[in-house]
Amino acid sequence: MAKESKSGRYDLHSRRRRVLGLDKGQALKGLFGGNALVSVIVLALITFFLFKEGAGFFGQYRHDIELYRKSGLEYVEIMKKETDSFSELNRYLNSIRGEHASVLKERGLSFAEAKAELSSYEDFIYNFEDLGYPLREYVLEMNEVAIGARNMFVEASNYREHRENLLALGRDEEAAEVEVLDVDLSVFVEMIKEGEPDFLALNDKVAVGIIRLTDDLPTIGIEKLDDKMQRFKELALMFVSEMDGYETRLAEWDPQEPVGMGSAFASFVFGKDWVTNSSIQDWYGILPLFTGSLLVASIAMVIAIPLGVGAAIYINQVATPAEQNFIKPYIEFISAIPSVVIGFFGIAVFGEFVRQASGWAIFSGLDAFPISERLTAFTAGCLLALMAIPTIFTLAEDAINNVPKSFKEASLAMGATRLQTTMRIIVPTSLSGIISAILLGFGRVIGETMVVLLCAGNRIEIPDFTDGLATFFEPVHTMTGIIAQELGEVVNGSIHYRALFMVGMVLFLLSLLINYLAQKIVLKYQVSRG
Amino acid sequence: MALVKDNPKVITSSKTSSSMATEKPEPKRPLIRVADFDFYYGEKQALFDINMDMKENEVTAFIGPSGCGKSTLLRCINRMNDLVEVARIGRGKIEVNGADIYDPRVDTIELRKRVGMVFQKSNPFPKSIYENVIYGLRIQGINKKSVLDEAVERCLKGAALWDEVRDRLDTSGLSLSGGQQQRLCIARALAVEPDILLMDEPCSALDPVATAKVEELIHSLKKEYTIVIVTHNMQQAARVSDKTAFFYLGKLIEMAKTDEIFMSPKNEQTEAYISGRFG
Ligand SMILES: Nc1ncnc2c1ncn2[C@@H]1O[C@H](COP(=O)(O)OP(=O)(O)OP(=O)(O)O)[C@@H](O)[C@H]1O
Ligand SMILES: [Mg+2]
Repeated sequence: MAKESKSGRYDLHSRRRRVLGLDKGQALKGLFGGNALVSVIVLALITFFLFKEGAGFFGQYRHDIELYRKSGLEYVEIMKKETDSFSELNRYLNSIRGEHASVLKERGLSFAEAKAELSSYEDFIYNFEDLGYPLREYVLEMNEVAIGARNMFVEASNYREHRENLLALGRDEEAAEVEVLDVDLSVFVEMIKEGEPDFLALNDKVAVGIIRLTDDLPTIGIEKLDDKMQRFKELALMFVSEMDGYETRLAEWDPQEPVGMGSAFASFVFGKDWVTNSSIQDWYGILPLFTGSLLVASIAMVIAIPLGVGAAIYINQVATPAEQNFIKPYIEFISAIPSVVIGFFGIAVFGEFVRQASGWAIFSGLDAFPISERLTAFTAGCLLALMAIPTIFTLAEDAINNVPKSFKEASLAMGATRLQTTMRIIVPTSLSGIISAILLGFGRVIGETMVVLLCAGNRIEIPDFTDGLATFFEPVHTMTGIIAQELGEVVNGSIHYRALFMVGMVLFLLSLLINYLAQKIVLKYQVSRG
Repeated sequence: MALVKDNPKVITSSKTSSSMATEKPEPKRPLIRVADFDFYYGEKQALFDINMDMKENEVTAFIGPSGCGKSTLLRCINRMNDLVEVARIGRGKIEVNGADIYDPRVDTIELRKRVGMVFQKSNPFPKSIYENVIYGLRIQGINKKSVLDEAVERCLKGAALWDEVRDRLDTSGLSLSGGQQQRLCIARALAVEPDILLMDEPCSALDPVATAKVEELIHSLKKEYTIVIVTHNMQQAARVSDKTAFFYLGKLIEMAKTDEIFMSPKNEQTEAYISGRFG
């Protein structure tokens, strides 16, 4: 800039070069602002897309459940529950006989001798089984009716839709050719309902039969098994007393009772079944997947938190520079292993190892061991822990590193040991940072897909939490796993497709919540420092 | 509680200052003695052949231009330099109450309980005022409420902070003003009942009023403690100290009674520095 004479006015006008009316600073600002904007837009689009694809789910699901009710399937399901519980009784009875057989074998009885022993109460078992036959036959028959009705109805509405599509396209002649049946579901329901007295009569017969049979319980002569026989009697009588309950539910059942959005929602959020491609009725209850994800993630966290945080403390406070230079990159390197490789390792090596290890003598005191499954929540949890450790380690180490050095010096200058300084000053000061590291590790684990898909065993069932230790060694399925597994094979726009998107939504919300909490905690930490 | 674990003749417990007093054979003997001391950071020599005595219940001021090694020597006295990876001693020794503190058998924990330190930048822990003061007691496993309460009051009074914070002992130490924080750090150092207090520019971040308070405090602490203070403030050195040591480029140039140093320095460099002609 030329220096004007001192007496003249300053010329302060900008002489920077301009491109498209922008100078360099503005252009840079525009560039970075643009980048930020793109990220925001992409995020918004993802959210919107998830919402859009998932949104139709509840309406469709409500419609499905309504059809399930209107076609009488729900009614049949009640009867089926009853027969299922009768079958349960049969199984219990047979298990007594099975146990008896193995006891006899242990005692060294020959096959013929054992058979003779067992046959003493064979009639009892057969008679009991026979009691249930008419009931089961009846329910199957009604089931056929209801399914037939439902399928006809669905088919008819498909045709109707087809015809309407043709009409909309102006292809009237073709549309006229499409025959649409008018399916009145109430006729079928009437039919099913009409059978109710028959069913009640069958029920009565079963009840009377059970009471008569159990009155004259066979004795086996082995205390443990006779106790079981007594237990069987109790169960059987309990079943009889529960029959009333089924009957009232049948009587109260109303095919016209409307199905609200609320029940569709509840059926998704609290539903215990995730059944797809069923010939009877599909259910989209997220609970088994949600609990599965949670179980696997919890196992992973129980392992990863002490290891990750411990390693972070060690590296930051205790390790020599040589150790630091070795361990730090090594742990961080773990996160570079593709998850599919970890999953592969889980299937090929680790799962089998866990199963074998569970047979070792030191575990013989535990009821749950040895385990029979190779791919379980535990297998997946261990491998996920491996993936969470680098996240937790790195973030926790950062948090610890952020503790001002002067705190450490002050503590040591007071005559505190290293350990005291670490436990009383360093860890408490960085605690919120460590907690948010843990939360983010949890987020990583909950969102991980490949490992759980490969190693969790993929059985869609709520883990039985009353099983104690064995709970952790059951195969489970997860929210991420189910999406990866099923999304490829569903029809675009179908209810199943939308249900998977809803699962995705739940995952998304969960991650959002975790991140929000992590930020909240860090914020609180900064406030308490200042 | 011997400093050197199996050497009975070195300093014993400072827990009770009364018993300490009876042990002192005569006042004004050298409590800290630095002899032929060379000190290095890696290859770089930071201290050259330092020889000096610091007497009991005296305040010694270290002065000298930036980078001349004042902090380094101070931090050698309670072995805080152990934290520096590359730090090492070349030659000579430092004795505290007759014990060589760089003897391999010395437990630095024991040493630091007797040689407390106050840092240039106040560094209270992110804990309550109460917990800050008693930190040194807690780490010694003292958890008895009555003992702790008593210590808090005594130390805060000792640090001339009691009246200002007595109603809010539960608030964070970080909520105090800079000057109050520094006095809190002094109170914290007092709680372990050290014999020696090392202060590295304790007033450099404080305003004149807070500085005056801390100086007053140093004055009153002198009765019970031996104090070594690093300062860049000539007036401060003149006001608070009995002896002054002038360092230049890692060497101790001159050490004498404060009056003498300021009135009639023997060394030219000292004179130049004091009169503000360099540094
Ligand atoms: N941790 C360290 N590693 C390496 N060199 C250091 C370290 N600390 C100090 N030094 C060096 O040692 C010399 C003396 O430093 P010291 O901090 O003792 O000076 P000072 O007299 O306290 O200075 P100031 O008045 O600025 O605080 C300086 O040259 C400094 O660069
Ligand atoms: Mg210094």
